[in-house]
Amino acid sequence: MDQPEDCDVVLFHSVTHAMKAEKLLKAAGLTIKLIPVPKHISSDCGVCLRFPREQQEAVVAALEGQVDIREIRPFC
Amino acid sequence: MAKQIDARGLACPQPVILTKKALETENEVVILVDNDIAVENVKRLGTNLGCSVDVDQPEAKTFRLDLKKTSAEEPNACSLAVEAALAAPATGPLVIAIGENRMGRGSDELGYILMRSFIHTVLSLDPLPATMIFFNTGVKLTVKESDVLDDLKELEEKGVKFLVCGTCVNFFSITKDVAVGSISNMYDIAETMSKAGRIIAP
Repeated sequence: MDQPEDCDVVLFHSVTHAMKAEKLLKAAGLTIKLIPVPKHISSDCGVCLRFPREQQEAVVAALEGQVDIREIRPFC
Repeated sequence: MAKQIDARGLACPQPVILTKKALETENEVVILVDNDIAVENVKRLGTNLGCSVDVDQPEAKTFRLDLKKTSAEEPNACSLAVEAALAAPATGPLVIAIGENRMGRGSDELGYILMRSFIHTVLSLDPLPATMIFFNTGVKLTVKESDVLDDLKELEEKGVKFLVCGTCVNFFSITKDVAVGSISNMYDIAETMSKAGRIIAP
């Protein structure tokens, strides 16, 4: 799908936030994948959304005012 | 010098247990039993432990077995080796059985998230499973629209075998949509499970 090196992840405050964000981003037609938060980012259990870096603006725009983003980090 | 045991009236497997225990410390055991099944069982134990076994029948319902250890290995060492072998971890392929497209009970929505996360992390297992079996709603994970299709395809490329239950895909009418693995049947699924060293059922 997308090369890991060219991906970012968007982190949320809770699993429920992540689930809501996933629905919104899918509805907006964006390429996202729900994955467990990578170990080098956090050891707590949690999920985040991975997407190709070039979609970052679109992702942020789609979630604006709808779901609070905690942070966006590079996947690798 | 022989240890005498009267096991008449005792239910199976008592005669065998008593004999085995006695042979741990004695070189010769004479045991009385009252039925020929017990005779066979004690005789077999004796032979397995490297004893010579003499059987006679002094009375109508009394059989006497005389077990003498031969020079061979200590029964102690032998039974220890057997116990050790039984306690060792089973060898055999790692199999993952996916019987649902959810993980855990209570919240279907959360369960689906968990199962997707689980499948994603299977990629980082070392060693990778030999086989993943999908049945019941688990087969829904293998269709072309599946959210985990990319992970499954990558696992398949890395040599993981997928068995997708044919009865289940038929039941959910998704036979044409299965995009990974091969359609399998209960015989293959049951055989794969029985030959597994470990089965993970998330």
